Amino acid sequence: MSTLITDDTQGFGPDNPAPRIDPPRARTRRSPRATRTNYEMYAWVFMRLSGILLVVLVLGHLLIQLVLDGGVSKVSFAFVAGRWASPFWQVWDLLMLWLAMLHGTTGLRTIINDYAQRDGTRFWLKMLLYTAAAFTIVLGTLVIFTFDPNIR
Amino acid sequence: MQIHKYDTVIVGAGGAGMRAAIEATKRSRTAVLTKLYPTRSHTGAAQGGMAAALANVEEDNWEWHTFDTVKGGDYLVDQDAAEILAKEAIDSVLDLEKMGLPFNRTPDGTIDQRRFGGHTRNHGEAAVRRSCYAADRTGHMILQTLYQNCVKEGVEFFNEFYVLDLLLTGAPGGRRRSAGVVAYELATGELHIFRAKAVIFASGGNGKFYKVTSNAHTLTGDGQAAAWRRGLPLEDMEFFQFHPTGIWKMGILLTEGARGEGGILRNKDGERFMEKYAPTIKDLAPRDMVSRSIYTEIREGRGCGPDADHVYLDLTHLPPEQLDAKLPDITEFARTYLGIEPYTDPIPIQPTAHYAMGGIPTTVRGEVLADNTEVVEGLYAAGEVACVSVHGANRLGTNSLLDINVFGRRAGIAAAEYASATPDFAELPETPGTFVTETLTRLRDSEGGERVADIRRELQETMDKNAMVFRTEQTLKEALEDIGALRRRYRNVSVQDKGRRFNTDLLEAFELGNLLELAEVLVVSALARKESRGGHYREDYPNRDDVNFMRHTMAYREVDADGNESIRLDYKPVTQTRYQPMERKY
Amino acid sequence: MSSTLTKPGPGPEAAAGTSAAAHKITATFRIRRYDPEVSDKAVWQDFTIEIDPKERVLDALHQIKWDVDGTLTFRRSCAHGICGSDAMRINGRNRLACKTLIKDLSPEKPITVEPIKGMTVLKDLIVDMEPFFQAYRDVMPFLITTGNEPTRERRQSAADRERFDDTTKCILCAACTSSCPVFWNDGQYFGPAAIVNAHRFIFDSRDEGGEQRLEILNDKDGVWRCRTTFNCTDACPRGIEVTKAIQEVKKALITRRF
Repeated sequence: MSTLITDDTQGFGPDNPAPRIDPPRARTRRSPRATRTNYEMYAWVFMRLSGILLVVLVLGHLLIQLVLDGGVSKVSFAFVAGRWASPFWQVWDLLMLWLAMLHGTTGLRTIINDYAQRDGTRFWLKMLLYTAAAFTIVLGTLVIFTFDPNIR
Repeated sequence: MQIHKYDTVIVGAGGAGMRAAIEATKRSRTAVLTKLYPTRSHTGAAQGGMAAALANVEEDNWEWHTFDTVKGGDYLVDQDAAEILAKEAIDSVLDLEKMGLPFNRTPDGTIDQRRFGGHTRNHGEAAVRRSCYAADRTGHMILQTLYQNCVKEGVEFFNEFYVLDLLLTGAPGGRRRSAGVVAYELATGELHIFRAKAVIFASGGNGKFYKVTSNAHTLTGDGQAAAWRRGLPLEDMEFFQFHPTGIWKMGILLTEGARGEGGILRNKDGERFMEKYAPTIKDLAPRDMVSRSIYTEIREGRGCGPDADHVYLDLTHLPPEQLDAKLPDITEFARTYLGIEPYTDPIPIQPTAHYAMGGIPTTVRGEVLADNTEVVEGLYAAGEVACVSVHGANRLGTNSLLDINVFGRRAGIAAAEYASATPDFAELPETPGTFVTETLTRLRDSEGGERVADIRRELQETMDKNAMVFRTEQTLKEALEDIGALRRRYRNVSVQDKGRRFNTDLLEAFELGNLLELAEVLVVSALARKESRGGHYREDYPNRDDVNFMRHTMAYREVDADGNESIRLDYKPVTQTRYQPMERKY
Repeated sequence: MSSTLTKPGPGPEAAAGTSAAAHKITATFRIRRYDPEVSDKAVWQDFTIEIDPKERVLDALHQIKWDVDGTLTFRRSCAHGICGSDAMRINGRNRLACKTLIKDLSPEKPITVEPIKGMTVLKDLIVDMEPFFQAYRDVMPFLITTGNEPTRERRQSAADRERFDDTTKCILCAACTSSCPVFWNDGQYFGPAAIVNAHRFIFDSRDEGGEQRLEILNDKDGVWRCRTTFNCTDACPRGIEVTKAIQEVKKALITRRF
């Protein structure tokens, strides 16, 4: 008696069923193929360890920049130049740069893996991400090591 | 219509089917057809355990187990089969352990065992710890373990394939051989012919013709009915087990293990009434006796509740830790479905239709019998669908999980060996799909207006009222009349779903046809058995009558020249070896 | 079928909550319908029925199928939560229809029932389970041992048996896997259920295949994709601590101790 109320006129029926719509990337007998690397595990561990380190590095950074010695008003070219004269602060900032970039990149990669459905979308989004990350890391590293306080 | 060819085809993927498949796959090209997915089978609902005289916790031996099985079955058990069951039980349990089954353990790391109804030391002296268990999910663990091993062995499954017909060569009365089965693929509505040298039916029970039942919705006796329609006999169908402790009104099983752990049945006065009926082993008497005792209490006005229609299973004196460790699932059932806390409140229960002792008659190798002596070549059966008969008139708790493993294995080996030794496939009948096509077309196209649900409901109501724990000539005749009327109405049954894909509406109609036929066999067999024995209790003949009825009922479907059906009853002698019938007291 | 039963009045159990008055309520079930033989679109359809609130959602579906619309299609078998056939999304949460009582769903509002997510819908509430079982098979869910079999049982202490007890409860209903947001978007992820079944063997003292299974789950679609949202633990009708099991596998992978 009761059939589904639809207004389509495509004439679906027992001999002409609607096409099957599979969810993206369904598992089959053949896919995914095994890769047998520890990459995912290292990435996972890296996220935890870098996260802990970053808490120290970033909080320390914020403390120095924003709270101690008169707060944010003290930050000037001279202040930065003075800090980067010491290798300790160079390493601190370098570490912070690398860890933050890699942490963020790995995190975004996870999000892309989780939400991008098509293989092509995944690939290009990740390429974009990796390029941006590499660019920022290279540029930042360059600045830290080639910083010259005697700017003319 | 697709045609497949396999050496061995197994119908059903419960305990017996998968146990057979593990053996058959190693020996022959095997397909397993199941109307569900393998892990959905009702073996998973079994709770209490699997009996085997391992003697891990106290002295025990298989001979005592044999005796208990024979006595529990009210001496209608074929004793040679019971002996095999008890002897092979030990290896069956050990095999399952080696396959990975996580049994509960004793302090020294061996398989733990607990008490269960009817299992005794030294021929009835006292209850013995014989049931090997995994909390109260032994059946679940067995089903999962067997499926895991099927995955390991690479068993080929056809999921959601309903086997609706059995193909045989020859005519009833003559020499017969199995040619295969006809299956309906639920996903597409297509018919498939499976040609096979050997076919094993392991399709389970048929308890769905009762209303209050522990059986799954899918236990509709499809295997029994397919054999029946092809003129093969059904043995001892009048013996149906009513489990004493089903959840009141719902029928959901609460394991006998609850009483094995110390649970007590009480009436409305809080009295432990089983002391009156079975002074020695009290609450752990065999199921038929406990079920009758419960109904006697209810009939004599000592039932609980406003309608005095149930009794209590009392676990409140057991420590909560013990309930959590040994009976986690049933305590959860009480909480989920009744909103009761079993630590502090007794659980309302009533007997529930549980297990068909009867079924397709087989030899101890699982070969299906065409009459009292002749086997059907290449046709096997095991599990609840079969009647070996190791359960006789009443099955002991924990013996069914044993039955599926022992006789599932035997049938698997026998079938695969037969298939390997047989060079050719049996000829298919000329139009093998005719019966199924015609039946399904009739059901689908019928405009009769009778509804499946109404007929099934009325069938269940008359069966509960007239052919349950207590039966009399009058109630059985009433049931027979009702079933006859329902069968006439069934001819006008129609379904609403006219589609092809996943048409469960259509399949439910087909299953109802099976239930109606089998209910009629049960009632006719029960009418003729004018005695009380085990699960079959006739109030008009309350005593066991070994002179006239120490024999198995063999029911045959007869069709005369005009196409009128009738049921012919014949009898088969009981095999007795060691034990002479005695009065059954506990 | 029990939907037609009339329950007796309150008795001594009323305090314990067993029996309610014979009152039925009017409840609306808003069911996601899809039939490829009718349309390529899924639609919501409302069914309003009279039902005892102590009945299960499965009873309501049966009542609709048997008395109102026979074309409503869903899987079911045991009807008490051990066969795992009837996992579905009820009021937005994954549950077994046979373990969900109507009274627990605030039935004064329409109760929504839809198929579990992340799987191909084949008809109404029926989904294609094949990818799910493929993931299960891919973790080698069986006991792996080497050497000769002992004549008697393998010994295992009660404590060793207890170690993996939780994950032996799995009934493969797919409620957990289809509640996982990672799985919704990426069916290649093994999903909670497969990991639970690997856990069951990795932590079984008798098993010798743990290393192999850990390697399988170490892969790009393995445990590292778990975001610990705990949806799976919430969804499990058997009360398995699924997320905890996944974390234990991660820990075993890092420490190589199990």
